[in-house]
Amino acid sequence: MKMKKFASVLLAGAMVATMAGCTSDDTTTTTTTDTNTNTTTTTTDTNTTTTDGEKTNLTMWCIATESDSNRHSYEAAIADVTAAHPEINFTWEAFENESYKTKIKAAVAADEMPDIFFTWSCAFLGDFVDAGRVYCLDDAYAKVKDELPESMMGNSTYNGKHYGVPLTMNIVGLFANMDLLKSVGYDDIPGTYEDFIACCDALKAADIIPFGCAGKETWCVTEYLESVIEKSVGYEALNDIFLARASWANDDVAAAVDTFQSLVVNGYFDPNGDGLSNDEIKANFMAGKYAFYMNGTWNCADFAANEEFFPKVKVGEFPVINADKATLGQLIGGPSDTLAVAASSPNAAVAADFTFELGRLICKYGYLDGCGLPAWAVNYDDSEVNGLTKTVAAITAKANGYVLFGDTAMAADDADAYLKEVAMVYGCEVDGKTFVEDLAAAIR
Amino acid sequence: MEGIKLMNKKITNRINVFLFLLPALVLFLVILIIPIGLSGYYSLQEWNGIGAMKFVGIENYKKVFSDSVGLGPAIRNSIILAILSTFVQLPVSLGLALLLGKGIKGERIFLSVFFMPVLISTVVIGQLWLKIYYPEQGMLSVLLSGFKIGGKSIEDGIVSWINNMNAKLPIPKPPYKNVPWLGNQYTALACCFIPILWQYVGYHMLLLYAGVKSVPPELREAAKIDGATDGQINKYIVIPQIKPIIKICVIFAVTGSLKSFDLIYVLVAKPKVADVPSTVMYNEMFSANNYGTGSAIAVMLIVLCFVFAMIISAIFKKED
Repeated sequence: MKMKKFASVLLAGAMVATMAGCTSDDTTTTTTTDTNTNTTTTTTDTNTTTTDGEKTNLTMWCIATESDSNRHSYEAAIADVTAAHPEINFTWEAFENESYKTKIKAAVAADEMPDIFFTWSCAFLGDFVDAGRVYCLDDAYAKVKDELPESMMGNSTYNGKHYGVPLTMNIVGLFANMDLLKSVGYDDIPGTYEDFIACCDALKAADIIPFGCAGKETWCVTEYLESVIEKSVGYEALNDIFLARASWANDDVAAAVDTFQSLVVNGYFDPNGDGLSNDEIKANFMAGKYAFYMNGTWNCADFAANEEFFPKVKVGEFPVINADKATLGQLIGGPSDTLAVAASSPNAAVAADFTFELGRLICKYGYLDGCGLPAWAVNYDDSEVNGLTKTVAAITAKANGYVLFGDTAMAADDADAYLKEVAMVYGCEVDGKTFVEDLAAAIR
Repeated sequence: MEGIKLMNKKITNRINVFLFLLPALVLFLVILIIPIGLSGYYSLQEWNGIGAMKFVGIENYKKVFSDSVGLGPAIRNSIILAILSTFVQLPVSLGLALLLGKGIKGERIFLSVFFMPVLISTVVIGQLWLKIYYPEQGMLSVLLSGFKIGGKSIEDGIVSWINNMNAKLPIPKPPYKNVPWLGNQYTALACCFIPILWQYVGYHMLLLYAGVKSVPPELREAAKIDGATDGQINKYIVIPQIKPIIKICVIFAVTGSLKSFDLIYVLVAKPKVADVPSTVMYNEMFSANNYGTGSAIAVMLIVLCFVFAMIISAIFKKED
């Protein structure tokens, strides 16, 4: 009986000890599954920052997985910066984009973030800043101000304080398959909206689908819709709405939404796109199924890497629809990809300086790879940058106004309501009037 | 003296029982009861998951049925799945279990083959079915375009039907040439349910097979000697004997349908066209940052699963 009692006490004790062990936050073994590549990597790291002799441990989470086009720029930047700082023991992990959003929110809620973390600017980072979880980077920024213009810091500045290090910036580009356009008599991307529509009609008559858009991923629809709205009502009006300075109840926006919907109703979009993902649509575009593809300019790297497709593709700006309110040079996009430092990091000041240095290098290699435009000053040879990215750089050089992607600019619950309405517009369930009325009621 | 010894022994036994139960009890509390309690607490708050909470009472429970959240249609979809699971998936599983339980040639191989989908990761199954559902070149489209009824292929018939439905929308959609199986509201739900039903046939089959195998062979033999056919043996001997397992299978099928998430999420990404309560909950919590509303849905799901389990138990009890 004593033996039985002893065994039960031992078992219960072991169980309690195991559970207590689970809550320890000294060391964690993290397993990350990258669903994009179906590979699993396991890394062991110290989740808290410690000073090991003279070395300072810093950890970072980001979304540059093996299949991410930014992977190389992260690897190259990390190799450079760690070589320059042997006193820092740097560990980093990459997570798949969608799961990362959940992971970082949970980590912020539990105040168990790594020292440095990837984030999206504006509302996404704003929630973390409001909760007091992000380290203010004003002091570190003062040291690199000459290389990083204040205008690039705007999306991660809250109440006049800087909380993020911008990496690359991207805009929505109108990519065109010039082989298909030439087949209907167009040597260039049409410059006016009337020409653009005439081109779409010519393509349709030749049995070529003008646009490819992933209906399964609503953010892809917003790339088209936001461009149409911006080129109809002007960037200032759209910015005011996205940043909640003005109501959605706007007749011009309703008319612009109807304009977008007329493109859908006229059959310019691939109807099969309703059931396809963005990767599948992009593959179809590269295979010559669509004449146009409106998406982020981060795609330049993939297009440039495809030797067969690269000579056929051209990038341009969506034409102006209402010249009284909008002009060329009003663009959708801006610096959104950002690195931030956790306020809970014991070495936050070191991490802040390290993050700026890392951010500058990620920006450099990302730009050279064609993954985006530089948010930082270019003080290196960029002659090897691919032609598409250079065209995008030329477009942004003439830019006179930016509107950040709506789902990034808006707070999460507003963005959710917005995306649901966008899906309904694309699905022809609501018209422009209902769209603005619904959003005016949902977003106050 | 003897009485005191007996009492001490009883107390010692009770302490032992308690100590043996303690680990399971701790796990049960930490993994199940406390999270449910916390979900109940969060469901009464307005909370974005990071900042301060604000007590809002039952507002979140009212909100979940609004158009903006849309739990009502999601529950309806889950109930359809539960009905299909009970009246399509389980009979198929039972049929297979009875067939294999009879002892046919290659029993083990068939058992492994039917159970294999349960072992494969749902993400992998999702990717597999995504290829099957690919419009135009996908296996389903190719297959259905090959079968013709009255000179018209089955796929063309479905396309015509969807186009007719779309023509009735407030703003008529341009006609489809192929069926975007996962991208329209008329086929997406069914396309999500088919792989779910297919995947778990093997699971229920295995449970039922174990039950069938546990039926004493003497009963079968006696029935055979009395001249009973296989169908009669199954109907009057095997099925009544495995009723408790059938009850468990029905409970698993119904509660599993209410909780279904992963395959639907993989297949339709942003599952507006095929919402179920779990996808609505995920969207509210992790896309819209409405942890209060998400927790309210979680609590309602728990209650729904519990209620359905009780109803099923009551039905089976009444039958007995």
